[in-house]
Amino acid sequence: MSLLKSFTKTLFFVLILFITFQSKTFADGGFPVRPGRLLISPSVSYFFASSQWDSTGTKKPFPNGGKYTSISATLYAEYGINRKFAVVASLPFVYNQFTENIDPRSTSSSGLTDLETGLRYYLANIDFIYYFSLQATAITPLYSNNAALGYGQEGAEFKPAFSGSGYLGSLHSYFNAADGVRKYFGANGPIQNRFNATYGVSLDDLYMNQVSLTLTGINSWSNDKSFVSGVPETNRNFSFLELSASYGHSFNDEVSLFLTGGQFLTGRNTGVGTAISLAFVYRLDYR
Amino acid sequence: MIQVSKKTLALFCCFFLLCGLQRAFAQNDDNPGTLIDTVLIHSSDGIFSSTASFTFQLKSSFKYSEKGKASLLVTTEAGKKVRSDSVSVNIASGESKDVEFSVGGLKPGFYKVNFMVDLPHYNDTARKAFGIKPDQISSQYGKPADFESFWHDARLQLDKVAPEYKLTELPDSAKGGHRRVFRVEMKSLDGYLIRGFLTEPISANKNKKFAVLLGLPGYQVALGPMLGNDPDFAIFTLNYRGSGYSRDVINVRREDYIVLNLENKDKYILRGAVMDCVRAVDFIYSRKELKHDNILAAGGSLGGFLAIATSGIDKRINFCSAANPILCDVRNLVNEVDWPFIDMRKYVNTRPGLTMEKVMDNLDYFDTKNFGTDIECPTLVGMGLVDPIAPPNTVYTLYNGIRAPKHLIIFRDLGHEIGKKYSIYEGRWMRDTFALF
Repeated sequence: MSLLKSFTKTLFFVLILFITFQSKTFADGGFPVRPGRLLISPSVSYFFASSQWDSTGTKKPFPNGGKYTSISATLYAEYGINRKFAVVASLPFVYNQFTENIDPRSTSSSGLTDLETGLRYYLANIDFIYYFSLQATAITPLYSNNAALGYGQEGAEFKPAFSGSGYLGSLHSYFNAADGVRKYFGANGPIQNRFNATYGVSLDDLYMNQVSLTLTGINSWSNDKSFVSGVPETNRNFSFLELSASYGHSFNDEVSLFLTGGQFLTGRNTGVGTAISLAFVYRLDYR
Repeated sequence: MIQVSKKTLALFCCFFLLCGLQRAFAQNDDNPGTLIDTVLIHSSDGIFSSTASFTFQLKSSFKYSEKGKASLLVTTEAGKKVRSDSVSVNIASGESKDVEFSVGGLKPGFYKVNFMVDLPHYNDTARKAFGIKPDQISSQYGKPADFESFWHDARLQLDKVAPEYKLTELPDSAKGGHRRVFRVEMKSLDGYLIRGFLTEPISANKNKKFAVLLGLPGYQVALGPMLGNDPDFAIFTLNYRGSGYSRDVINVRREDYIVLNLENKDKYILRGAVMDCVRAVDFIYSRKELKHDNILAAGGSLGGFLAIATSGIDKRINFCSAANPILCDVRNLVNEVDWPFIDMRKYVNTRPGLTMEKVMDNLDYFDTKNFGTDIECPTLVGMGLVDPIAPPNTVYTLYNGIRAPKHLIIFRDLGHEIGKKYSIYEGRWMRDTFALF
């Protein structure tokens, strides 16, 4: 009888469901997309530059007190087709303005820029902690003959990504790292290396509040080394490195809000940019 | 009110402080010191490919040198001595000494190992276990030729019983919570009424379907509704016949449950309990809001047995999680553990004509390892290396027989329990399997 008593003390029921929080991190990482889940993220961002790094990386103000501002509104979406494949799309609208203290004092342009549509493949994982994905993206310009909006050239990108989750002390944490090689087709179409690395922690057990740091960079090479504007992606031969900090709040499992502020750290042939953005993320399950 | 001056209070404090110090010093004078012994197993999970090696650390705080011996005794899980070793130890005051032991030439299997220190003023035994090439472990006992047909017949018998599902939403269950809670009643094999609890996340999406955790309890454990914040999972906790909230017909003492109708495999209590689990899957399939291709059967101990058995019989289970499953490789198990065979032997002694051999013949149909070979879904198994109820060699025999995708997590220093690492891995693997990213 004593045996049974001592034995039954140790009988237990196994149940601690591990709630996955990776879906509450922002989009566009190495984590797979849930089949049937549509993630929609409308965002607005404000970019500002009053000085530039020239082609040698020397920092100097724009002549005549020039200032570049760019306001963009982007609609980003992901949809999980099945456990391996997801489609992604990004549709940006941009309003660029340049002001200086001589006539014409202000010039501006606006319009839809480059539509990006892609297919992401969930490649593998390590112990269900670290995830690898590959993404192929097509770039389609939605404008023509407007250098202030972009190159006006079609392009393609191949991007491997690596993500994972873990702990920082007692806090849940995650990371995303991706490096994409992009090529624009046509005369002087640049070839670019685009990378980003994010490390984030949740301030609570349920990822209701999270903060993250992101390092983003683009290196773009082209025979056309001209400076078009302080908005980086209007130039063909440029580079920059930006550090940004983000705060995210989840209102519930479906809706999150991310507020991000970033500062360019180094660059070449581009503006010394400061950017802030606000993004909503909606997750809608259709299965 | 008593008035006490500060001066008087200070004097009292000094007095008590001095008394305390005097006692502390006196204790220090009387204390002969002690010895702290620790075993380091040179493998994180206690598994070795050939020679097992250990460090027996001794740290003395004795006032004087102690002279004695440190020894090691290796036995099989059944207690048969296979190795022993002993070294003289002379340990000075305040000294730390590492005694190295290595054990080679053992056959694949799991072994118990006792580390003993015997000094004039101290002796102790540390009990550990280790494994040698466990992936080569198999049982010399096969499954009965009619094992599958035995359970197929049970299933056919169950199908003849109308389930008569009855859901009752429990009042106030949604108050302040994230889930709706239902009491579930249904009829199972032999018409027995069994109960369970279903909890479902409250979702604004009325079309959302939930993956299901079928929670299976340990021996005679009552399982109430299980809650939590998970928005993706419904949880159905089952109380199989004669257990928890399903004691309408069978309501026996704890020690009598495992032997109920043991003499007849067609009436043995676990046959009905396993069919109750199958009926629970029937219930899950009857619910439109539940995903029928995302069913996780999970349990520990007897619940681990039920998870394996149900997954082996019922291919509708999509993920199986069994921690410390009992009743693995019963014909070897009978020589290694006390429970449940101590109760079975008592039962045999009260039943004229019944023998342990007949009992073992019946238990072949309830041997966890025999269900394991039929599992087709991903299966996670957890075990403690010093488990006295589900010994590692028997659990490993089950594990080696599973042909589906599988993973085993070993807890080197735990007995009949598993650690948090198991639950985390279970959650991650299961979510990946169900694509609940």
